[in-house]
Parts: sequence; C-alpha cells; structure tokens
Amino acid sequence: MSKGAREASARDRIAAQRAAERKRDRRKRLVTISVVGVVAVAAIGFGSWYAATQDTAEQPALALPPATVNGDGTVTLAKAGVTAPVLDVYEDFQCPACKALEDSSGSTIKNLAAEGKAKVVYHPLTIFRQEPTRSNSLRAGAAARCIADGKHWMAFHDKLFANQPSETVEGFALNDLVAWGEESGVTDSAFPTCVTSQKHAQAQADQSVEVLRKQNIGGTPELKLDGVALPNETAFVPAKLREAVTAAGK
Amino acid sequence: MTTFARLMLGGVLIAAGWLKIGAPALSVQAVKAYELLPGGVATAVGYGLPILEIVLGALLVLGLLTRVSAVVAGLLMLAFVAGIASAWARGLRIDCGCFGGDGTLAAGQDPGYLTEMLRDGGLVLCAAWAARFPPGRLALDSVLGLADRPGHHDLHDHDEGNDS
Repeated sequence: MSKGAREASARDRIAAQRAAERKRDRRKRLVTISVVGVVAVAAIGFGSWYAATQDTAEQPALALPPATVNGDGTVTLAKAGVTAPVLDVYEDFQCPACKALEDSSGSTIKNLAAEGKAKVVYHPLTIFRQEPTRSNSLRAGAAARCIADGKHWMAFHDKLFANQPSETVEGFALNDLVAWGEESGVTDSAFPTCVTSQKHAQAQADQSVEVLRKQNIGGTPELKLDGVALPNETAFVPAKLREAVTAAGK
Repeated sequence: MTTFARLMLGGVLIAAGWLKIGAPALSVQAVKAYELLPGGVATAVGYGLPILEIVLGALLVLGLLTRVSAVVAGLLMLAFVAGIASAWARGLRIDCGCFGGDGTLAAGQDPGYLTEMLRDGGLVLCAAWAARFPPGRLALDSVLGLADRPGHHDLHDHDEGNDS
C-alpha cells in the first residue's frame, strides 16, 4: 500500500469512528431528553390529578343538625349539646372566593356539625366597598336577616351562593331574593316586605364593619377554629379541614 | 447572563406555583376571576397551572431542557400578560392571583394591573434570552452534553443540523 493510500484509509477510519461517536452521542442525548421530558410531563399530570382529588367535596349528610338564627344575624349550626370546638365561618354572599369555599368545603362544614364534631357559626358579612358588589352583598345579607327559621336560613344561604352574580353586574334583585326565600320554605307573610324594604340593610352594614374590625378580618372567606384563623391550605381542602376540626375536638 | 435569566424566571415560577399549590379550589377561583375561560377549562387550568409552574421553574433552575422550558415559560408569561390586559380592558377589578390568592382584591385595595404586566413582561424578556442563547456552563444541559458546547456554537448548525 502506498503511503498516500495508507493515510487515506487511516483518515477514513478516523472519520468512521467519529461518525459512530457522533451517532452514539446523539442517541444518548435523545434518550436523556426524552426521559427528562416524560418525567416532567408525568409530574405535571400527576400534580394536576392530585390537585383535583384535594378539591373533591364531601357528600352532604342526609340531615342537617338544628340551625338557630341568633339575634345578631349570625346562625349557629350544631347538634344539641355540642359547644366545642367552634368553627366560625365569615363569608360574604357576593364574594366569589366564598362561593369557592362553599363549593369545596361547604359540605364538610355542615357534615362536621351534623356529626357533632363542631359547633358551626355562620357570620354573613359585607366586605365590598365598590359598586355593584357592595349593594348586591347588602341586599342579600339584609334579606337573610328577614328569616327566623334556621332550616330555612340554611337553604336560603345555599341558594344565594348557587345564584351568586358576577362581580361586574347588579344582581341579587329584591324580587329574586323574595322568590328564593319562599323556595327555601319561608312562609312568614312579613318576609316579602322585610326583603323589599331592606329593613335590615343598615344592621348588615354596621355589623360588618364592627365584626371585620373586632375579629381582625382582612378578607372573606375566613374560617376560625376556636378563634384562630385557618390558612387557605386548610380551609379550602375538605380533608385537611376535617382533620383540623377533628383534632381540635380531641 | 443566560444563567441569570433562567434562574430569575425559574425562581419566580417556583415561588408562584408553590404559593398556589396548597389550595386548588382557590387556584381555580383565581383563574375564574378573569372570566375568560369556560368553567371546565378554567377548573383544569386551576388544577394544572401550579404544578406546571413548579416543574417549568425546576427545569429552568436546573438548566435542563433549558431552551424548550424557556419557550414554554415565555408563552405562559405572554398568556398572563394578555389575561391581565384583558381583565383591565374589561374593567374587572381583580388581583392577578399570580402568587396565590383567589383573584379578589383585599378591602380597599386597587388593582395593580400595570405593575403586574411590567413584571410579567420582564419575565418574557428573561424567557426570550434563555431561549435564544445557549444555557451556559452551570446548566445541567451543558454537564450532560444536551446543549451545544460553549465555543462550538458556530459549528452548531453544520454539525447537528436537524437536531435543533
């Protein structure tokens, strides 16, 4: 073999080696990239699924415990004789996050009361200062104060959240509120006038200011367990809320 | 510089995702507050967004699949900017819900749309930077040989043409 030919074949060999190396590298790269990609996508899928399971509401109990409308417009939901732990629910009928709380943890709160694991107290507040949300909230809050029967009040409460208007439109119209009250079982003949005259609007506004200040509440919803505010990570996750309340009762 | 861009973007994404992931119901509510997506889609986004942000953020901080992650993160930020702009234009009064929260403003608080958009716009620039330039020596991409080696950049197109 001539010197030139030898050199040429050596060059070829080196070139072939390089090509093989490049191919190997490329395959290795591809495998690594695919693995990382698959792991990342799987993590996102699993995380989303887990979030959905965390946000699964409990089945509501068949029967609610006795509900009592108190003189100050709050409502106590508790089995007879249950006085502790106390779960205070501060909410505004117009606030979307309160609706989100009702959708996720609402049934758990009622179930805990039904099981005798907590004394639940609802505090309907008006936190909004802007229109149309402020008037919406006041109309609804004032209407709720026209209901004397706890069972009817609870049904009305649920109906208000189910029919919550957007924050950008006028909602909770007076005639709707009267109709929803009657659908909730209210038969009191004074109820329609009480709602349409907004008899309790001032009381609703005054009490909201006072409670927000006294209880140091920055926004709604807020759950307090024996006077201590629960973090959102507990309040909005039904299983964690149940755990916290059950633990407080021990 | 690329390292800074990806750490910045990744760090913010991890923080944003972490603050949201504990309360899925709130995360869903924050998405719904924009009144942009139909209910079912908004719910899915609410569940998926926090973990998506955390995973993207982790990839960027580690420097793994940096360019792809940066492109996805950049598109996400652009979507946020568009969402906030749209909320602003429609006269909604919401909190962006960027770092947790339910999208509602605290009592007496005004929306901070401009600040929120500028911040997200800055992060879009970070994303563009991290997507445009090679990830740098500190990135896992470089350690694992997933990125083009520094200094060989000019050979890149010729060498591995169809890969990039």
